[in-house]
Parts: sequence; structure tokens; C-alpha cells
Amino acid sequence: MAALCSAVGVSLGAVVRFLVPSVFYGPPQSFKIGNPGDFPYGPPTFLADEKIFVFRDRERGFAVASAVCTHLGCTVAYFQNDRDFHCPCHGSVFSPTGAVLHGPAPRPLNWFEITLTRDGQLRVDKDKTVPPTYRLMV
Amino acid sequence: MKWIREIWQSIVRRDPLSTDKGKSELVFLNVWLHIHPAKVKKENLRFKYSFYLGFITFFLFLILLTTGIALMCYYRPYPPAAYQDMKDLQFAVFMGSFLRNMHRWAAHAMVVCVFLHMCRVFYTGSYKKPRQFNWVVGVMLLLLTLGLSFTGYLLPWDQLAYWAITVGTNIGSYAPLVGGQLRELLLGGHAVGEAALLRFYVLHVAVLPSLVILLTIVHFWRVRKDGGLSRPIWKLKPQKTEALVTIGAPAAVAPLQVTAASKDKTYGLMEVVTGKPIFETVTPEEEKDTVFSYPYAFVREAVALMATVTSIMAISLFFNAPLEEMANPAVTPNPAKAPWYFLGLQELVSHSALLGGVVVPALMVVALILIPYIDRNPSRRPRERKWAIWLFTFFVVANIILIIVGTFFRGPGWAWVPPWVHVVARPE
Ligand code: HEM
Ligand code: FES
Repeated sequence: MAALCSAVGVSLGAVVRFLVPSVFYGPPQSFKIGNPGDFPYGPPTFLADEKIFVFRDRERGFAVASAVCTHLGCTVAYFQNDRDFHCPCHGSVFSPTGAVLHGPAPRPLNWFEITLTRDGQLRVDKDKTVPPTYRLMV
Repeated sequence: MKWIREIWQSIVRRDPLSTDKGKSELVFLNVWLHIHPAKVKKENLRFKYSFYLGFITFFLFLILLTTGIALMCYYRPYPPAAYQDMKDLQFAVFMGSFLRNMHRWAAHAMVVCVFLHMCRVFYTGSYKKPRQFNWVVGVMLLLLTLGLSFTGYLLPWDQLAYWAITVGTNIGSYAPLVGGQLRELLLGGHAVGEAALLRFYVLHVAVLPSLVILLTIVHFWRVRKDGGLSRPIWKLKPQKTEALVTIGAPAAVAPLQVTAASKDKTYGLMEVVTGKPIFETVTPEEEKDTVFSYPYAFVREAVALMATVTSIMAISLFFNAPLEEMANPAVTPNPAKAPWYFLGLQELVSHSALLGGVVVPALMVVALILIPYIDRNPSRRPRERKWAIWLFTFFVVANIILIIVGTFFRGPGWAWVPPWVHVVARPE
């Protein structure tokens, strides 16, 4: 009985492990987004494939906010008139710093680290979150 | 002519159907029909008792199996081919859009019918002893039906599919401890993508249908072993409520009233079991209450089958299954809505993901499964089970209201928008 149970247990464990992918073929978490000059001042630039907003401010420099709603993962939109982020799925609203204003989102929007590479390009790393006050001066 | 008759006889191997023996043999010599008894209780055939909802659910499942296999001939489970194949089915394949429509509408209808069937079983108190566990099997079938809808929803790989599944699987990741890992296991990645489509496909065409078939066999077998359907309420005899629901359930039932064997027919399990044989006795007046399954039960089932198939075909002629633009991870449609039967859930989720998306539904499922074990009131009469009926009705109505709110009263940004108000998109 014990032998049977352990055999079944081991097999089940192996099946579950088999189903966990060993390699993820998703898009890379860290990538270049172009030259600083590509980005205008004023309203943020939305990069659809990466799902990020790139902010450029004359005094304070670059910052990158995630466009993925912290509630259930829909893509938020930026509205210029109230400068808030609105989620189309369940109505979460985030302030310009990413804080939750209302709706079901449990956490503020993520901000990602943005750095300058040696060849003068901007690089975003989605594995490194930073406080909303983080800025890259160029 | 004689040889034709001989061949026919070699196939059917029964007496002519004009005889009682032939009618019984038709049932019990046939592997497909012998899940029926040779004779059934007349009153149990009444449409107004079961509405044949269990049968209709089963027939819808058969439609889904056949049309599903047909669709598989043209469907490649990876993006963007999956979406192109949908377009092909809709515009190029002969009868492609008709088959796709049938598959889609039968799936919706199955969700409705399985739910109504459950309500019928509840309101007639048919989950009570000895049928407790068949109710549990039923709940599993309900969950599998929803699982099939959910996995099928991703396959067209359009915007609706992509975002409903993104939101749906993110709800799961709120489950404590294992939620995140479970989501990755289901998606085969961090987000809905190629791997997820393939996994959903495997679940949808292989794993879940096999489980439904297995559990349906168990479900039917137990209905049969419990002596067919429970007695209609109006047939319950006032003094002998207990004795009526005992056929084939040997253990610990109320004592059967056994009348002298000489004038009754008895059926029993003899020689296969040691110890006291299990007898079910049928009194002459009960015998008068039964009819042969052929033709009485079979004709009714055939009518239900034909009505189901024709209704689905008719709907499929006039209404096309929706197909939106190709899935685009960058743009969330506004509002992004799950399939209608999950909109009650989505409404709850819009208030709190953990509470509304995980805790409340999990408790509901557990409560649903435990109903026959919590409700120990032996009576099946509505008058004697007011509490149970009120409570169940409350949950059914609450669920329906939430679905209606989610479907008709939620607009862009999940804001409260009554259906008679027209919204103009807000400029970005
Ligand atoms: C794939 C889904 C299902 C199929 C195909 C199915 C099929 C059937 C059929 C054909 C019958 C007998 C006749 C009738 O009532 O029309 C039946 C009876 C029954 N079903 Fe289901 N069913 C399903 C799901 C469920 C669910 C969700 C429940 C409850 C949670 C349930 C509980 C029962 C019980 C307790 C009976 C016995 C009823 C009685 O004796 O009166 N079934 N089912
Ligand atoms: S996903 Fe953004 S509010 Fe639900």
C-alpha cells in the first residue's frame, strides 16, 4: 500500500513538474527603447508591445510606468485632461504617480528602472521596480 | 426475403416488438439502451416533472462533440493561425460558419440547461438519500461544463478571447499561496500567449471532454441504480415517504415493506452476493403504474433530442457567433467583458479580486457540493423544506441579478451605464 501510494505520488509530482515550463519563450524583460531624442516632452509615450508609458519632463528627466493594471492585468490608458490612468476592465483609476485613486486595484502601478546604455540608448528593465520618484536625467 | 430477415435477426436478436418479451429484450440486449430499465414508472416520464433538462444537457453535449470534431479539422492551435482559421471557417469553408455557430450556441445552451437541471433537482429534493453522491457528481459536471466554456473561449484568439482569459486567469492568481504558480501552470508562461493557447486547446479537446464523458457515465449509472428518477412530488404517498426512494440502495435504508412474495414480482441479486439477498418488491398497483420503456420513454427522449438539435440549428442559421479583431496584447477593449455566465463573477471581482474572485466563489462551490450532507431534512415536500428553498432561491436570484448587472449595466471602465443610455467614448 505504502509502495503504491509513493509510486503514485512520485508519478504525480513528475507530471506536475513536466507541466511547468523549463524555458519561457516570452518577450525579454529588459530591452532598449531608442534614443532620448525620440521622446517628446509633455504627455507620456505609450509603447504598445512593451506595455509601458515613457515620461519625459524638462526639469526632471525620464521615468517609465507600467501600463499593466495591478488588478487583473488589463492595459490602462492615460487621459490627458485629468492626467490619470484609467483601466477599462473594472474601472480602477491611478493618479499621475501611479497611486490608486479608486477602483479595485490593490497596488499602485509599477515604475521600472530606466538607464542609459553605453551607446547612448535608453534601456528599461521590467525586473527592477523603482519608486515613482525615480528619474533619469539625460 | 427470408435471408434478409435472418440477417436482421442476427443483429437484433430479440422477439418481435409486438410482444412484451420483445419490448424488454430490446432494452436489455442492447448495450446502449440497457442503461434504461425495461419498464419505467409512468409518472416519472411527465415533462412537467423533470423538463427533460438532464437529457437536453446530454444532447447538447453530443452536439458539441460532433461539431467540435468537425471544427478540429480546420483549426490550428497557435497564433496567428488560430484566428485565420476562424476567418476561414466563417467565410471559406463550406458550412463552416454554420458548424461554428452550432458549437457556440450549443455551448451557451449547455451552460443554461445544466444550471436549470440543477435547479430542478434541488427544488424536487432529488438530491436526498440515496442520491446524495449523484448530486456531487452533478456539481463536478457543472464545473467541467464551465471549464469547457472557459477554455473554448480562448481558442478563436480574438480580442474578446485574449482579454477575457487574461482577466480570468489573473483572478486565479489571487488565490493564496499557490495562485501565481497555478496560473503559470495553466498558461505555460507568464502571460497569455502561444503556450497558453496550446494548453487551453489540449484541455478543451481532450482532457475536459474525457472527464465529462467519464462522469456522465457514472451519473447515468447511478440514476439507474437509484431506481430511475425520484418520484414526482405529487406521487409521494403521505405515510410512506421513506420507502419510496430505496431501490438498489442496499445499505442502511428504511426498512422496505415486503409483501408476501407469492403475489408479487420480485427482482433480486441472487447467487452473486452471500448473505441476505437484496430484494425489491413491487406491489400490483405499482406494477400498474409502470410502462415499457419501448416506446414510451424512448419516444419522449427522441422528441427531446430532435427538439434540441432543431432549436440549435435554427438559432445557428440566423445568428452568427461573434468574432472580433485579432488578439492584441497592447490594446484592451473597453469595456472588456468575460462570457455572460462569468459576468456575475466579474461584477464581484470589480469590488474585490480576492474576496469576489476567489473566496466567495470557492465557498459557493463547497456549499453547493455539501448541500445533500447539510440538508438532513428527509422530506421532499416543498411545504416541509421552506428554509432550504428560500436559501437556494436567494443564491440563484443573486447570481442572476449580478449577471444582468454585469451584462447590461456596465459600460466603459466598468462604470454604471444603464442600457438605455448611450455613451460616447472619452477622448484620450
Ligand atoms: C453535463 C452535465 C449533466 C448531464 C449531462 C446530466 C444528465 C442527467 C440526466 C439525463 C438525468 C436523468 C433525467 C433528467 O433529470 O432529465 C440526471 C439526473 C440527475 N442529475 Fe444530472 N446531469 C448533469 C449535471 C448535473 C448537475 C450539475 C447536478 C447537480 C448539481 C446533477 C444532479 C442530478 C441528480 C441528483 C439526478 C437524479 C435526479 C432524480 O432522481 O430526480 N446533474 N442528470
Ligand atoms: S484589470 Fe484593471 S481594474 Fe480590473
